[in-house]
Amino acid sequence: MSGLLEVAGVSKRFGGVSALNDVSLEVAEAEAVGLIGPNGAGKTTLFDCVSGVTVPDRGDVFFGGRRLGRAPIYKRARLGMGRTFQRLELFAGLTVREHLEVSERERRADGRLWKDLLGRGGIRLEESERVDETLKELGLESVAGSPIEALSLGQGRLVELGRALIREPSLLLLDEPSSGLDSRETAALASVLNELRARRPISVLLVEHDLELVHAVAERVVVLDFGRVVSSGPLAAVLQEPAVQEAYLGATL
Amino acid sequence: MTEFLSFATPGLPYGCVFALLGIGLVLTYQTSGVFNLAFGAQAYASALVFYECVAHGWPKPAAFVVSVVVLAPVLGLLMDRGLYRFVRTKPVLVKLVAALGMLIAIPAVFEIVFPAGNLYSPPSLFLSPSVVYFHIVGDPINGIELSTVVLTLLVVLLLSVMFHFTQIGLRMRAMAESPRMVELAGVDADSVGMASWMLSSLLAGLAGVMLAPVFGDLQALNFTTLLVAAIAAAAAGSLSSLPYTFLGGLLLGIVGELLSGYLPSGQVLSSGLRPGLPFVVLLLLLLFLPGLRRRWTKVNDPLAGVDPPPAPLVSASRDRSLRRRSRIGAGALVALFVVSSLTWVSPSWVFNLSQALALAIIFLSLVLLTGMSGQISLCQATFAGVGAFTAGQLAAHFNVSVLAGIVVAAVVAGAIGALVALPALRLGGLALALATLAFGLLADNIGFQYSWSGNGQSGISIPRPSLGPINFSDGRAYFCLIVVILAICILVVSAIRRGTTGRQLAALRGSELAAASIGINPTRAKVLVFSVSAAIAGVGGAVYGSLELGASANDFNTLLSLVFVVVVATVGVYTVDGAVGAGLAYVVLNVALSGNLTLRWSNLLEVIFGLGAVVYALHPEGAVEYVKRLTLERFTRRGIETEVLA
Repeated sequence: MSGLLEVAGVSKRFGGVSALNDVSLEVAEAEAVGLIGPNGAGKTTLFDCVSGVTVPDRGDVFFGGRRLGRAPIYKRARLGMGRTFQRLELFAGLTVREHLEVSERERRADGRLWKDLLGRGGIRLEESERVDETLKELGLESVAGSPIEALSLGQGRLVELGRALIREPSLLLLDEPSSGLDSRETAALASVLNELRARRPISVLLVEHDLELVHAVAERVVVLDFGRVVSSGPLAAVLQEPAVQEAYLGATL
Repeated sequence: MTEFLSFATPGLPYGCVFALLGIGLVLTYQTSGVFNLAFGAQAYASALVFYECVAHGWPKPAAFVVSVVVLAPVLGLLMDRGLYRFVRTKPVLVKLVAALGMLIAIPAVFEIVFPAGNLYSPPSLFLSPSVVYFHIVGDPINGIELSTVVLTLLVVLLLSVMFHFTQIGLRMRAMAESPRMVELAGVDADSVGMASWMLSSLLAGLAGVMLAPVFGDLQALNFTTLLVAAIAAAAAGSLSSLPYTFLGGLLLGIVGELLSGYLPSGQVLSSGLRPGLPFVVLLLLLLFLPGLRRRWTKVNDPLAGVDPPPAPLVSASRDRSLRRRSRIGAGALVALFVVSSLTWVSPSWVFNLSQALALAIIFLSLVLLTGMSGQISLCQATFAGVGAFTAGQLAAHFNVSVLAGIVVAAVVAGAIGALVALPALRLGGLALALATLAFGLLADNIGFQYSWSGNGQSGISIPRPSLGPINFSDGRAYFCLIVVILAICILVVSAIRRGTTGRQLAALRGSELAAASIGINPTRAKVLVFSVSAAIAGVGGAVYGSLELGASANDFNTLLSLVFVVVVATVGVYTVDGAVGAGLAYVVLNVALSGNLTLRWSNLLEVIFGLGAVVYALHPEGAVEYVKRLTLERFTRRGIETEVLA
């Protein structure tokens, strides 16, 4: 089984702090992996190394067999990585619809300046149809025309998800998608993700504190603590391991 | 070695001057988050008042108390209450425009109050400039030099102590990060902001009075030029470290003197390089100092998200019938304007209107760059100059028709724009503004001085274009051509706004990280729009130069770039009608004021536009958009009333 995403011996230091220490993990095609661990374990740093926000000091990230090296964020996105953000990163001033339209145009990669100048840069019919489809999948039709600022946090997360999905990524990186959501919204998010994965094969790497969501979505988890992989495997089994319990509950227990 | 030292020593006081102003910049940036480009103007105000007091026979200590101890903090207080407290939580762009407005308005206000004309040999504060106190390797050290060095050291020491060991210093530093967080922590942000503006203004006043004798005469321009060296010094300190700023300033002064000592004299490059050195250094620092990038991209107030979103453009809020009516109205207005210019309007006013529309093309470049892409350029006049000189030189040397010249001008200006933007854009907002400022001043001092470009103050001639049988030397004919060119540029800008690039820019404005995460290349989009913007400015410059039948380096100097930004921001930076309105307002006000005012009041235009920046800080949408919103609201209300009645 060759992985779609391979993280090979990645280390990253910030000043004197070692955030990641020789971390390796793999996400196979159409597999959903949960990345868990206590705060400060290095989950976000690993995420940043994968999506291109930072470059690891040592080690490599491979995606679809290609070494990513120092490739910037947008190139990784074009290769098929989509991501959401823990602290919402939405396009202020744009409507929900426009968020998806921008992303759909990027998927098609045919927005050239000269086309704009010839007046051929407007939204095309087939683009508009795909946007409608995605809005429906995520249940966002009723707020399609609303400015992004008028949305609740839960809806904002869905817009981020839609913006990533409409590009049809082969790997979806979700950074604590449940933070700030209530249990009902989290459950709804889980079912949206599962429906989606039932429809098309898509790999997911999920950073999450809410173990229920991880349980509902991920087939396998990787546990990080102090920048090292402590354990990996199915969630129920992993949670029984002493090393994992120590990481979560402290050595004294 | 002795030669080296004797070249280097005179650089020391210059270096201290740079350092002192640089420290003032760091102080304001650290305490208010505003990169205070008006710092030099504040220094000039105190220096001017000091000069006037002494000239009227006041004793120096009394003059010092009035001009520095009283006036400077009061000026700081006024600026804080009237302007800066409103922009405290606003984005970098708004803060920068506010400071630019002050840079333009303050000297103008003071020159209206003290209309003295040329002021030679400003008096020194305490040590006499003509007394040599001692020698260093043969270089005489006079009173000004000595007192500058002593004062600078003292200021560095006092401020460092204040920043690191006092309560108020800590609060001021916190303010720069997030005024709202400071308030949440129970500190009265307003009074801290007020105190820091008064303190930095005091420093500006002190520096102004101290430094005035360094120059032979007292002019606002001297202080503005000094400011770039100060910016370079502040950049060396990463906008945060006072000791490094001090060192940076010092080195800059010394290297400048060394260059003038060793370089052959008499060539444009060597005569331009010494005044140009701060700009070169600033550009290099911006490009290669990694610490700067971190500091300058970290401009996000963690509480920025609590702001309500800006209102959408008025044009987006109109319903269909209103949109149709407003389109018909606008079309009729334009037709009326063009027809009257071709028939009953006097030739001199046709010329004025042509000027306004040529400027509108240049202003349009700012609508594209600033309004749509959120970037700020302080060298649009320079790009306009590149365009004008390209068209002129092509016509003179290669007999190229001016119409073709305008096209080439667009290409050349666009290419230079891309070259400027490519390295600077990675740094983001403020750094781009400063890099363009440095580039503009470099062009003023060196680029436009050569005979193959702008030919310095004497300038070059640029003929009117002709197309087959039509010769545009007639004023009305050329007016028509300008209308056509402006219309093409407007079409270009609105096509970009509606197209992919416009949407990419909107996304980038919202969140650069998220935009990259869906595959948008931020650098490419920004360089592209910067280049197109420079090209449009180039077209505007060429059209303007041809209208005037010639242009010199002075017609496109960087001070003008600053005025442009303020004017467009005031009138409306988000829509194309804002650019046209800005062109008309600029020329009409200029003609109305210069025709009817005495020399003393000729600065009124600058005051008006400078104060326009205050309006901008309160209503960033600009005057045109504001009026449109009022009209829309009146129409909608009437509509609702009719509905209710029915």
